[in-house]
Amino acid sequence: MKLMSILNERIQTLLQDSVAAKVLATADKQGIPHIVSDPTITVNDEGQIIYLELIETSRSNVNLVNSIWFKRKVAIHLSKGEESYQIKGYPAYSVICGPVFEHYYKLSLERNPEFDLSTVWIIEPDEIMDDTYAARKNKERDVHPLITHLDRLAK
Amino acid sequence: MDKYNDVSPFVIIKSDVTRRSFIYTDRALGALDKSKHQYQQRVLIGSNRDKNAAVPVSLLLRDGTSIIGMPSKTAKNPYVVDQIDGKLVLTDQGEIVEEVHYWYKPDYYDKFTSSGTPMWQVASSRPQRLDIDPNSHCHFWNKGNGCKFCNINANSTQSEKECNMSKQLTAQDVYETVKEALKQPGAFTNLKMSSGSILSGAEIFDDEVDMYIEMLQAAGDNFKDKKFPSTIVASAFSEKQLAKLYENTGLMTYTSDIEIPNEALFAWICKGKHEEVGYAEWKRRIIRAVDIFGAGNVSSGIVGGCEMAQPHGFTNEDDALKAVLEEAEDFASQGVSVVHCVWVPMHGSAFHNQQNPSLEYYVRLAKGLSDLRKKYLLNVDMDNYRKCGNHPDTDLDRGNLD
Repeated sequence: MKLMSILNERIQTLLQDSVAAKVLATADKQGIPHIVSDPTITVNDEGQIIYLELIETSRSNVNLVNSIWFKRKVAIHLSKGEESYQIKGYPAYSVICGPVFEHYYKLSLERNPEFDLSTVWIIEPDEIMDDTYAARKNKERDVHPLITHLDRLAK
Repeated sequence: MDKYNDVSPFVIIKSDVTRRSFIYTDRALGALDKSKHQYQQRVLIGSNRDKNAAVPVSLLLRDGTSIIGMPSKTAKNPYVVDQIDGKLVLTDQGEIVEEVHYWYKPDYYDKFTSSGTPMWQVASSRPQRLDIDPNSHCHFWNKGNGCKFCNINANSTQSEKECNMSKQLTAQDVYETVKEALKQPGAFTNLKMSSGSILSGAEIFDDEVDMYIEMLQAAGDNFKDKKFPSTIVASAFSEKQLAKLYENTGLMTYTSDIEIPNEALFAWICKGKHEEVGYAEWKRRIIRAVDIFGAGNVSSGIVGGCEMAQPHGFTNEDDALKAVLEEAEDFASQGVSVVHCVWVPMHGSAFHNQQNPSLEYYVRLAKGLSDLRKKYLLNVDMDNYRKCGNHPDTDLDRGNLD
């Protein structure tokens, strides 16, 4: 049974779908962004997002370390077909040992025997946006009705 | 913390908890599961276990940073580990500071070697490092000249008496324990050996070198390749001894601790080392090890803050820090990482009544040492946060991209 999470059931299902596109965006100390596409990003039973970092010295991993240290958000883009979401959250745990780590270490090995898992990142979601064009445009029209081209309003 | 907002708050917490020590509430101790968590451990310095209760051997923070230490019942202003709303937390004056976790017990811990030795007495487990200390007796103490901050012989004598833990390991026990440990996927990234100094042999430390060769070969028999991620924390060996070690074992990195990076204080605090080898020669040998192991693959530990021990130590923190970082830079410029632990004036050591420096001192020291590695392009993979876990400065390095 899943515990309370701000991620609704549909988003959790999408996060568990290996066909859905998933992208993690982080930023370094200077704010320079960095993204990785990773279809294995998933969700745990507590409704937290799981990102498996395979490269200890990667830019993403270093950025995540600085995010957990200095409470900086990261973003995850999630999409499949017409659906698209952006989730922002805080890295809450950098799991490097113990049963949770070893569970994902074995899972990574099953996916590819070459994979040598560095860190299980557990990201606490804090903010979700429907990221489709329709949703974003409707929101803008509500808040900024003056932003549009007149030809669209012509008789 | 506000003044050092570019330093990991987890590292600051770690330094302060180590500096001030901590205690457990009964609730927190009740959360220890002896089938899952470590509550006894073979360590050279510190304490192997609490003879009266099952006490966690160390703590882990949310970001993977370790806090190495046993609780102190005599600490004047300790942190308190409590269980609140189902979570283990560090508290200070009743306020929650941060969540903590107990170290998990590896699968091999409760097993026995063919000779009947409990495997936890052969190899201890830092979060991702196998620690094997084949000899827990330091010869410098034989003449009463052991390092004043150290309790190695007091600890090993007590452990031998209370739980029949041998001061010396056998190569067969080491082989069997490493073999068992490697069956646990993802559990370890490094194997470290350490020992009290052994002064005997044709040349000083020859017997210590031979002991390491025997033990490293026994451990190494479990690996496919000759070389495997490994380190020793040992006496300062001569070039000839280092070459013999490197050529005959799987050893990839080497540490010899300069302990107190100041010649006059080294002579006072590490009297045996100074009389038998001397500060300048100890240092020269560490630096020469870079020729064999390579830049960044040699490190030297210091007992951070012990340079302020009285009556001969520095009395001003700025002066102490300047002296330490200048000497550390001399090492770093020649390929040696200087790493620090937080000096804990512990029972069984000559300095048990001393006072360690301020938290700010430790934050500046950790940052200073980490910055030196950045300046001289030294990575600290041999001793990073997930291996030893006892160095606030190397914890900081994971926040930097190579």
